[in-house]
Amino acid sequence: MEQQEIIVNNETALHNIQRLTDNIETVIKGKRNQIKFVLTALLAKGHILMEDNPGTGKTIMARTLAQSISGISNGSVNFKRIQFTPDLLPMDLLGSHIFDDVKKDFIFKRGPLFCNVLLADEINRASPKVQSALLECMAENQITMGETTYKLENLFFTIATQNPIEMEGTYPLPAAQLDRFFIKIKFGYVDEETELGIYKDYIEINNNLNNIQQVLDISEVLYLQQQSENVFLHEEIIKAVRNIIWATRKQQDILLGASTRSGITFIKCLKAYALVNGRTYVIEDDLLDLALPVLHHRLIFRNKEAEAKTLGAIVNIEMERLSKLKLN
Amino acid sequence: MKIEKLHSPKIISAQLLLLCIPAVVIAAYLLWHINQYFTVLNNQWLLQTIYFSLGLFTGCIFYNFRFRFLTTFLPLLLVLYLISGIINKTITAEFSAFYASAQFYIFSFLFIIGIIAGWGFARFRYFPMLLCVSMLLIQIIIVSKTTEITAQKLIIAFVPVLFFAFYIVYTAELIRNMNKDEPGFAWFIGKRLTGFTILSSIILFLLISFYSNDFKAIEKEFGGSAKQEKNDNSESLTKENRDGTVSNKKEMGLSGGHTSSKRLVFIAKLDNYFPNTESPNPLYFTYDYYTKFDTLTQTLETDSTMPSNDLFQPDPSKIPLYFTETDSSVLRKAKGLIARKVATTEVYKVLLSPKEFLAPSTAFFCQPISIDKEYQQQFKSAYRAKMYVSDLNSAYFVYNPAGNATLENFQQTRFEALRKISNWNSEDSNFINYYTFIPHGESFDSIRSLAQLITKNAATPIDKIIAIRDYFFSKDENGQPLFKYTDNPGIPGLPSANKLTFFLFENRRGYCAYFAGATLFLLRALGIPSRVSTGFLTVDRADKNKGWYWFYEDQAHAWVQVFFPGYGWLDFDTTIPNTEQQQSPAPDGTPPITVQSAFFVANGKVISIDTGSKRMQMLVTKMIYHDKTFELKQPVKINMDVSLATVNKDTGAVPLSTITAGMEVTSLSFSEQFKNIVPLESDSANDILAKIPKPIPIDEIRIADTEKEKQQMKPQAKAKEPFSILHILWIFLSIIGSILLTLFLLPWLIYRYFRYKATHTTVVRTKAYYGYTSAMYFLNQLGYARKNSSPLAFARDIVDTNFKTDFSAFVQVYLKSKYSNEQLKPWEEKIILLFYPTFEQAVKNKILFKDRISKFLNIYRTINYFNTPKI
Repeated sequence: MEQQEIIVNNETALHNIQRLTDNIETVIKGKRNQIKFVLTALLAKGHILMEDNPGTGKTIMARTLAQSISGISNGSVNFKRIQFTPDLLPMDLLGSHIFDDVKKDFIFKRGPLFCNVLLADEINRASPKVQSALLECMAENQITMGETTYKLENLFFTIATQNPIEMEGTYPLPAAQLDRFFIKIKFGYVDEETELGIYKDYIEINNNLNNIQQVLDISEVLYLQQQSENVFLHEEIIKAVRNIIWATRKQQDILLGASTRSGITFIKCLKAYALVNGRTYVIEDDLLDLALPVLHHRLIFRNKEAEAKTLGAIVNIEMERLSKLKLN
Repeated sequence: MKIEKLHSPKIISAQLLLLCIPAVVIAAYLLWHINQYFTVLNNQWLLQTIYFSLGLFTGCIFYNFRFRFLTTFLPLLLVLYLISGIINKTITAEFSAFYASAQFYIFSFLFIIGIIAGWGFARFRYFPMLLCVSMLLIQIIIVSKTTEITAQKLIIAFVPVLFFAFYIVYTAELIRNMNKDEPGFAWFIGKRLTGFTILSSIILFLLISFYSNDFKAIEKEFGGSAKQEKNDNSESLTKENRDGTVSNKKEMGLSGGHTSSKRLVFIAKLDNYFPNTESPNPLYFTYDYYTKFDTLTQTLETDSTMPSNDLFQPDPSKIPLYFTETDSSVLRKAKGLIARKVATTEVYKVLLSPKEFLAPSTAFFCQPISIDKEYQQQFKSAYRAKMYVSDLNSAYFVYNPAGNATLENFQQTRFEALRKISNWNSEDSNFINYYTFIPHGESFDSIRSLAQLITKNAATPIDKIIAIRDYFFSKDENGQPLFKYTDNPGIPGLPSANKLTFFLFENRRGYCAYFAGATLFLLRALGIPSRVSTGFLTVDRADKNKGWYWFYEDQAHAWVQVFFPGYGWLDFDTTIPNTEQQQSPAPDGTPPITVQSAFFVANGKVISIDTGSKRMQMLVTKMIYHDKTFELKQPVKINMDVSLATVNKDTGAVPLSTITAGMEVTSLSFSEQFKNIVPLESDSANDILAKIPKPIPIDEIRIADTEKEKQQMKPQAKAKEPFSILHILWIFLSIIGSILLTLFLLPWLIYRYFRYKATHTTVVRTKAYYGYTSAMYFLNQLGYARKNSSPLAFARDIVDTNFKTDFSAFVQVYLKSKYSNEQLKPWEEKIILLFYPTFEQAVKNKILFKDRISKFLNIYRTINYFNTPKI
């Protein structure tokens, strides 16, 4: 009986994810993989960092996601967007105590962080001070101002975007902060065919953007987050994750290997990704698909060449092992 | 930074495997060679090789660990020196002390050489080159010790060393230059070496097979001799068989040297006397006739198609004892009618092969006979032969019969009789044309003019023959003999020059084949039908036992036979006596005069034999009783008492226990009991068998060499055969060929294995696994490797788009079966069960059969498939 229920639940969950993906895809064309990664980060209770040039649809992605989820009070969930600039202060993010003339007291004016979906645009343009202010919120889901600790929303999902590091006026994110982002992806351009479609249908897409349907309740998202933890993870996959993590530490071309926390994050993401892909178990493909988005930004490589190749090679060895593996 | 290791197990094992082991092999070869020349080594080359390899492996491993050479090598020398001192002191007995210390010196020497070689391989880059140089030097020294150099010997001596030289330099450099950390170290080296081996063996093979003729020409230049025999009498007219017996050779080359030893080959009793005298008339024993001359190889050849072939060549070992083989057709073909009679000879073989048949011409009858017990140790087998001999034939032609009235008379009557013959008009022109044929060419023209010059005063053919003989005996202007007999006449400067003209006009020295060959063409140039005959020269040295002749190896001979109408073929020997060579030793021992006659001979198969009670049962098919032969249509079982029987084979006496049921044997009885039981004319075999007492006492049993036994002998004989380089190369090439074939077939075999598993497994999960593996391997081999994409993405994006298959659906189910904790649903199981055949067909439809073959031949893909990728 109980087994039956879980399967039913799983099927609704899978169906919900499908709906969410399809909904976002009405606006973000030809980015199915990126959508999946975003949803993976969402379901893994993590955050995502997207790196690319301006104008590739990062912001729209975040907005569409936020608007697809209905909040408690009928409207869509709280979506905030902060444009990071060099002169941005932590206060501008967290909020500040201001004097209330009526109450004759300092009251806490909540900053934009008190939301469900936060779009931190061009995060690497802000000073390290601001970046680190994000740390606690992203990790602990709470803000500490002076003596008071303010809880953030249950569903708090950050989509950060950053310009490529080489661009002027950027501060590279500190390793600790990067670690907070479960997944870092390059948004990338769409293929020629899709781009043509976008140009043709841009009015319709714009319409869609303005009339995004709310397909999921926030509680359903929370339920999905909970469900992702129940995804079955085969022992060999866990072993493969361990092997990959260890290999990054042993490899001479990697100066800083992956931490244990990275491993845990990896596993969380694997489970969420399986769910996003409509499965209740993790397979080899998930490992290969996720290894780079999850691990690459956590490692420090010896040189450019190593950065381009090493992690892929490590994962490949593990893939080769798994693909020949005969499980009974 | 990685710290460079002091030594790498890979490098060490590569050195041990690829440098040291070949070095040991070549050292064994050299030591084996050296042992043949230095008696102090006691011919223990195997042990010495072990000494050397001990040193070599120790040295190679030890010095790979970066020990200093001098500081370790000098103490070793010291230790060895001390031990040798101790040995010298402790062992008191003089001889054993010498032996032990000599042994120890050999050990120390080889061990030290081994250590140095090991050190060289491990540490010294140029060592392999030094090694090659020293090995070549050793080989040159060994070869210089060789008295008789032949191309075969040179090739055998130098090819392995040269091959090793190339190999070791190449391999040592290869190992040195290899990056030991590179993945696929062994594979890379293996690849290179296989390529190297194939290439060099092909080159060697082609070289040797294309230039073998030139090699042979060169070896003649060296003054050695040409033939393949290991034995020293390589250019004698006899050849040594594998079992040590001697046979006449089937070809007769004209080459540089002719050596022969003086071993006794056979003895014979010949019942041939000068007409109306008691004086024995020896006749040459003929083996074969040479009627053709191959101008290319300068060889006289036999020709089974010669007109009126009167050659009788039975195999005495195939005829059961006392049974006979007769060919009366040779009597007609011998064409001699005048002054002919039947003579008998008994040949007792010593070294002569049991298979050989030799008799004065023209033989027509052969009967193997038993040898008296007393002589069975001395003679292996014997036969009696009957010949149709001419009264005019005799061994006396060259050897001056002066002083012997009988012989002089004989010569005169013979010449007188033959002088009546002046032409061959009465003979068949075909026959005459064949036996007077001379090849065209300048050199043969010069022979023709010489013949005319020599015989200008001779009127009749016999006078011409005498003139030719006298020409060979003539003296030059200085009073020196014009021609000389020598076993080593040397050869003309140009390898292909006509040796006969060289002999006749320039060198004027040679052995019997030269004289016979030259005489043949001189005679044929004059239109006298003639042929060369080989066999044994008969020398009458006996005073005591008249009619008995001893034949030694150096009596192997060649001479000419001339055809005289009415008289047939007569022997004429123009070879001048060898003045330098002393005669063979006088006949020793006594001939086996006591010839027994068997009263009862039975030939057939053994049914049973009891060595305890000495009884034998035989199924007799043929029998002889009192010289009367009976063919038994219905084989008869006969009980025999073999308690007194001696058992013989062609090779000599053997114990009774050799006989087993089923053997083909001939049983003889000399028993006096049978003497008085004389058969009647009308008696049949069964009548006789009823008369004679049983069990029949048997005195001698001869085992026939059955075909089956021969086949069993064959592999052994092959093993004993001296290896020729071509032989080794063939083996080598076939091994390489089979390895290559396996390599080429390997991908297909692997695929078939996976496919079998995929189609024949019933457990769904296993079936899914093998289906996936098989499909992936198949695709990999066809050039669609998964590479860096994930299984599902590969299936979806590459396989399904290319082949229009449902591979991704299958992969999904497979991965679910692999990683999920859920049970497969029935429709999912169905996908797995139905997947493979349709998938394979879809892929096959897309890729042509020939493409598939060429792709499946690619072993690299298989290796890549099984190789774990490296970073």
